[in-house]
Amino acid sequence: MSRRQFDIRLSVTIASVRIVLRRVFRPLIIVGGISALSASCATNAPQDTWQPKGPNSKLIDDLQQPVFAVAGIIGLIVAVAVIYTMLKYRDRGQPIPEQTHGKPALEITLTIIPALILAVVSVFTFGAIFKLAKTDDTEMIINVTGQQWWWEYDYPVQNDFGITQPIISSGQLVMPVGTKVLLRETSRDVIHSYWIPALNGKRDAVPGRIQTLRLEADEPGIYAGQCSEFCGLSHANMRMEAVALSKEDFAKWVANQQAPYVAPAKDTLAKQGEEVFLNQCVRCHQVNGLTRADGTPAIAAPDENVWSGAAPNLSHLMSRNTFAGAMFNLLSKQCRDEVWNASSDVVGAKYLAGVTEQCLNQKDLRAWLRNAPEVKPMYANPADLAVSDGKYRGMPYLALSEDDINKLVAYLITLK
Amino acid sequence: MTDTAQGHASSTGISNVKLGMWAFLGSECLLFGGLISTYMLYRGRVTGGPRPSQIFDIPFTSVSSFVLLMSSLTMVLAVSAAHKDDDRKTNLWLTVTALLGATFVGGQVYEFTAFYKEGLGFSTSLFGSSFYTLTGFHGVHVTVGIIMLMSLVGILKRSSVPGKKAEVVEMIGLYWHFVDIVWIIIFTLVYLIPV
Amino acid sequence: MAIIERPAPTVPAIVTPTTTYGSLKRPVSATGWRSWVFTVDHKKLGIMYGATAMFFFIIGGVEALLIRLQLAAPNGKVLNADLYNQMFTMHATTMVFLFVMPMAAGFANYFVPLQIGARDVAFPRLNAFGFWALLFGGIFLNLAWFLGGAADGGWFMYAPNSGPVFSPSNGVDFWALGLQIAGIASLTGAINLIITVLNMRAPGMSLMKMPIFTWMITVVQFLLLFAIPVITVALFLLSFQRNFGARFFDVAAGADPLLWQHLFWIFGHPEVYVLILPSFGIVSEVLPVFSRKPLFGYPFVVFSGAAIGFVGWGVWAHHMFASGLGPVSVAVFSLTTMAIAVPTGVKIINWTLTMWGGKLWFTTAMKFAIGLIVLFTVGGLSGVTHAVAPSDTQQTDTYYIVAHFHYVLFGGAVLGIFSGFYYWWPKVFGKMLNEKLGSWNFWLMVIGLNLTFGPMHILGLQGQPRRMYQWTEARAGEGFFNLAFWNLIASIGSFVLAVGILMFLINVLITARNPQKAPLDPWNARSLEWMTTNPPKEHNFDVVPTVHHLDDFFHQKYEEDPVTHTMKQVRTAEEIMAEQERNADKHIHMPSPSYWPIVLAFGLPVITFGLIYSHLISVIGGVIVLFAAYGWALESSTAPDSDFETNTPGTGLDKVASNHD
Repeated sequence: MSRRQFDIRLSVTIASVRIVLRRVFRPLIIVGGISALSASCATNAPQDTWQPKGPNSKLIDDLQQPVFAVAGIIGLIVAVAVIYTMLKYRDRGQPIPEQTHGKPALEITLTIIPALILAVVSVFTFGAIFKLAKTDDTEMIINVTGQQWWWEYDYPVQNDFGITQPIISSGQLVMPVGTKVLLRETSRDVIHSYWIPALNGKRDAVPGRIQTLRLEADEPGIYAGQCSEFCGLSHANMRMEAVALSKEDFAKWVANQQAPYVAPAKDTLAKQGEEVFLNQCVRCHQVNGLTRADGTPAIAAPDENVWSGAAPNLSHLMSRNTFAGAMFNLLSKQCRDEVWNASSDVVGAKYLAGVTEQCLNQKDLRAWLRNAPEVKPMYANPADLAVSDGKYRGMPYLALSEDDINKLVAYLITLK
Repeated sequence: MTDTAQGHASSTGISNVKLGMWAFLGSECLLFGGLISTYMLYRGRVTGGPRPSQIFDIPFTSVSSFVLLMSSLTMVLAVSAAHKDDDRKTNLWLTVTALLGATFVGGQVYEFTAFYKEGLGFSTSLFGSSFYTLTGFHGVHVTVGIIMLMSLVGILKRSSVPGKKAEVVEMIGLYWHFVDIVWIIIFTLVYLIPV
Repeated sequence: MAIIERPAPTVPAIVTPTTTYGSLKRPVSATGWRSWVFTVDHKKLGIMYGATAMFFFIIGGVEALLIRLQLAAPNGKVLNADLYNQMFTMHATTMVFLFVMPMAAGFANYFVPLQIGARDVAFPRLNAFGFWALLFGGIFLNLAWFLGGAADGGWFMYAPNSGPVFSPSNGVDFWALGLQIAGIASLTGAINLIITVLNMRAPGMSLMKMPIFTWMITVVQFLLLFAIPVITVALFLLSFQRNFGARFFDVAAGADPLLWQHLFWIFGHPEVYVLILPSFGIVSEVLPVFSRKPLFGYPFVVFSGAAIGFVGWGVWAHHMFASGLGPVSVAVFSLTTMAIAVPTGVKIINWTLTMWGGKLWFTTAMKFAIGLIVLFTVGGLSGVTHAVAPSDTQQTDTYYIVAHFHYVLFGGAVLGIFSGFYYWWPKVFGKMLNEKLGSWNFWLMVIGLNLTFGPMHILGLQGQPRRMYQWTEARAGEGFFNLAFWNLIASIGSFVLAVGILMFLINVLITARNPQKAPLDPWNARSLEWMTTNPPKEHNFDVVPTVHHLDDFFHQKYEEDPVTHTMKQVRTAEEIMAEQERNADKHIHMPSPSYWPIVLAFGLPVITFGLIYSHLISVIGGVIVLFAAYGWALESSTAPDSDFETNTPGTGLDKVASNHD
């Protein structure tokens, strides 16, 4: 290789390295500048643990901010001390130093100082631990049950909130603002963990146990969360959202959840969809009030078909914004953004509008009905169903025709 | 000066093998600790299977426990004979110890069979799983001990050099006593303390 | 070769091995590959441990790179969910059990006998067995990749997700049984090293004159001695459930899934100190040597190490702050966890003060050691933030934790190991690693690890959970904390890190081809392992040294001027060596090679393989184990003198009493 060729290659290499560096660093500089300008700008990730939106998460935040600060200062002191020592005592030809073995008084002092700092931290920690474990001031109870890979919310009868019959929902936890909600968590299969960072830390949902988690939101809004205990194949897809509504809006939501079933009109596509639903879906999915052609109630039997013994209750499906364990949106992107980005005084109304025909996310819903395991991994190998007595773990492939899917979508949109 | 890697003067004054056995037994304490904890957590969880009180035959197990305890005594006699370089007596007491141990294991096999017939299988309940695991682990330890004792008898008989065996006999003795002590704990916790 | 005759090394011993078992002859005079496979020499075993660990380090590293490739962009498609779960499970398992632990075992094997002035370990054959069991266990664990998929439940393998329904492939069986074999290896290694340290120290070497590396290794071995049986129990319960229908984690039968968590973390937290303390030991050797000063506050460092060893048993439940233990337990474990930060902080302070007032020589080994001080501090401090239990409920199971323990384990354990490589390479291989490449190696690794793990603090605090095979833009946010940007940086960093490690491998190759030999005492070192040739002879020391000081070798070379307190050299290393040669022990008896350790170790994976596929195979494995055990018991650890026909046969030989190691 001649010198010239080498130079060319070198400059090409340098140029390409520059491009890569520019790609990496320009956004770094830009976003760094932006964030410096607007430090409290709410564009952080929706699961940001440093933006508390309720008293429980604020309690944690007030505790951790000083701890982070102290830790940062100590880290800085150590780094500076090490670098200073490195510069000051680098080998400049000085003689081999005296072989001193230490100064006990200094040692003891330097042991006691961190011990004291930690003692102070622990006092505040203890206070927070016990405050966060309180259950006697609860105003509302919601039972939360995890299973692979979605959460079920079960609102027991609570007349104060107009809940006169149990409400069973999934995907989104709907709760009133300014109310001390106590989640009673358990699991039907493996360990999951319930976590809405803006409202509180996480608490594992352990099968065979009932554990509690306090939640309270200060303002109406939608708060994102994610299952945070590894729970198998689709752990990454087990999401949740907490929807905090004003007390009036919450009452409206409750009323809608308790509204009776409205069967689709005769000779509509939706009516045909109801038939498909009765043939295919009712094996696992309950729709309250749905009856068979002979007038008998259609009772789902997920315990016979699904390992965890449960499948989401689809009554009032279109009052939710998500499906498939909150992995997919029922709302199209545009409509969803309108709800998510709404200010706290209108978010309730927008949420209660539910999913309209124009807003329905047809693409993901159809893909789901077409072949659910393809879009959400549910069992590594269908042949392994043998170990679970032939029961499914998650929604199976149903081999529905496109025609059936059209009918089903038409039906599902009626479940307001 | 002559030195060997093995005959290296020991800093503690205790031989390597003996100290090694002590360390191993320390580790074994945690093994049985874990198994006993599991049993204590699960002993009341019977899910339709028999309860502990329904199947335990305390007099029978007491007798077999006594047999195992006696084997500790004969083990002491074997060690003391080995220290006196009395090969004949050492062999005798080692054999008796092994026989007593075998009697205990035989009793355990009988007991397991009886429990199984009364409806307590390994998979019947948490009580069943943890009971068989705990006592089974102990039984395996006794069996390994018996194999070591019998092998020792064989090796001692074959060896033409008299004496110098006390160390090994003592080491296996340590193991044997440990297994006995563990049984006393298991017997008390599993059989004597009611759920 | 088992008998070393002095002073006539040119006359080879003629060897006529006795029959050991049936018709097998003892491999007393093994040469070539046989000299490695049947060896009981602690130095050869140390090298083999190191090579094995390096091999698994590369495998674990490739797994890590695949993980980072998958996560570089949203909705990654490099791996599917199943493969991703296997990947992170095996990455952690490999790095913990098959890289850091064996690497530390390798350093310990090689240097502990040398540092305490011993000619070998207490149980040489047990030592060899431990190595082979580890190697076979590691291979067995990874066999699952080719037999239906590796374990996919995470290295913590929480029940009931590890049960047969939720993890139906054989991966978890291979995992549980493979770790069982590796556990046996660790347990035998622990017993061997504990007894070696307790019993085989050179005359004059009291416990408080032991080099700090040996001290830390001793603490680690005690931790292993008591921690391994706990994981053994847990793994047995899991295997019995999966293979024999036991109900231990079957919630339908009333089982409590938290039982596994308690057992696992009672093992798992001491295990963390098992991983980090050897590296603390290494840098506590390296810093004084390159500061030309003794370790500041030696007794404080020893006792803080021991304190970590004790308190390490009382902190396990801080891994379970979100599990629902109840506020009292959480408060107690929160307090103990803060308490353990104190002895750890003591070490940081002592290392810094060791450098203070010294005459610092920034070799690659020293750079890695200083890197450890700073980066481990970062990991330690982020550890304190989640000792605060309420804060931990926001951080646990997020990338913040991944950042924390990678600063501790990569910034701590791995940098310490690399410091050890550069420091001891001339001792082990007789050649110096290239310092220039070493510098590249150091800087690329440090930059790479900060680029990889630094952003993970942000990712975690922005709410990205761990163990997700994909992340979605819907939860990525915008602005400075945008998850997409920091995930990409972390992925780029992981490749920088990989290049850094590649530099080391290149350095090893270049050094191997470089004919230049290392000087006798290249670093002007302080402890006994340097008071012998590079590499050491099979019997380590011509004369077993008598120890008078901490850092005895240094004090043989230097004396203090009583007036000015300056140190002046009175003897060179070469002079000390020459004197040893002159007074060499005449007749040294070393343990002889043996077939049985490798045969016995081979029986173990055969048994476990049979437990998964066919119990008949297990029976064959059992027979192998029994056969080898008898062969072992009936063979004395050192071949009898009658096997050797030498120029001075049978002079003053000690009959070797012990044959039951």
